[in-house]
Amino acid sequence: MRTILLAALVAVAAVGLPADAGRSKQVRYVGIHPVPKSEGGGVCYIEGPHVHVFAANKLEYRDHRGASYFVGDPVAYGYDGEKHAYKGHHPIHVDVVVGDEEPDVEYCYIDGPHFHSFAAPAGPEFEVVGDAAFYVGEPPAVYLEARPAMIKVNAIYEPLVYTRPVVEVEPPHAWVGLRFGAPVVVAPAAVVVDAPVGVKVRGPRVRAGVDVRVLVPPPPSVRVDVGIGFGVSGGVKVKGGGRGKRRGW
Amino acid sequence: MRVALVLLVAAACSKSEGESATGNGSNTIAAATAGPRDMVLDAWKKGGLTPSPLTPASVAVGTDCQSGTVGAVDVLLCVYPSKDEAKKAEDAGLAWVGEATGASQAAGSVLVVVADRRKGDPSGRTINQMMKLAPR
Repeated sequence: MRTILLAALVAVAAVGLPADAGRSKQVRYVGIHPVPKSEGGGVCYIEGPHVHVFAANKLEYRDHRGASYFVGDPVAYGYDGEKHAYKGHHPIHVDVVVGDEEPDVEYCYIDGPHFHSFAAPAGPEFEVVGDAAFYVGEPPAVYLEARPAMIKVNAIYEPLVYTRPVVEVEPPHAWVGLRFGAPVVVAPAAVVVDAPVGVKVRGPRVRAGVDVRVLVPPPPSVRVDVGIGFGVSGGVKVKGGGRGKRRGW
Repeated sequence: MRVALVLLVAAACSKSEGESATGNGSNTIAAATAGPRDMVLDAWKKGGLTPSPLTPASVAVGTDCQSGTVGAVDVLLCVYPSKDEAKKAEDAGLAWVGEATGASQAAGSVLVVVADRRKGDPSGRTINQMMKLAPR
């Protein structure tokens, strides 16, 4: 009896399966993006619309007209094409980058210096200082609302070892990182000594984290490791990278 | 004599354009429909790619399709009467791609479909070049 029941269950399950069950499903992408290690790794350099049979994650991709658009730092995955330095969070005009007519503004939530394959658009939204683009526009509610969830993207990049851009300039006064405190965690350690050669770190260690805001600005002219810029106010100098690879921000 | 030569050349050009635009007999239709496909192939060759000879393909994507390869990438070029029809066929092109990395984009009245079924273009650079070189 048990065997008959089992056979019946298997038969029902088999009938209920769609014809393409077990087959890989096409996923639409637009623009360059990393390839998962399980699929060989590296970077896909197809700039236009295309398909793969692997899925995109929700932190590094945004939907653009039904296709997944990568908003992360491609250099972290070995991208060797044209690159432009940014610091902190900023909007991405996806329609301009991919070259279509439907306006689509998405946001990058990577803290600190990072790269994208596209330059910041000319206009009042960005100020380029020291070859790095700073977002100085007025962030809309959609950016602020999504931020708590999307800043988790930094956990993806923190362990990645690659050469990040070096940004040593004072951020513009209107930089979003100075006006909107990003959730950061201030570790109790007064001095951090694990910085790579060539990187000087003084003052409190500030790391990207969750739910804790720095309400008291750090002392003026604090020099910290790359990547803490967002949410730290007052005379922040960032140095790092440059010679060889560094780890984390 | 020089005037006669100019007139002769003008007449030849005029006849050629007229045939392409209107069509006149089966041979002319073939020439007219092969034109835009040849433009894609020429653009690829000028860009340093080496497409294989294309052969007629009986596929659901369109009625005037030819397939071949560019390096390790499979390619399907289908010609349609208009740009809009080529654009509308993009999804059908993706069905031809199947379970592989690929792309399907209209380039004028030609639908360019590429599929990396043998994973010979893991970085997608060849596909990217093919899609960018195809004349719009």
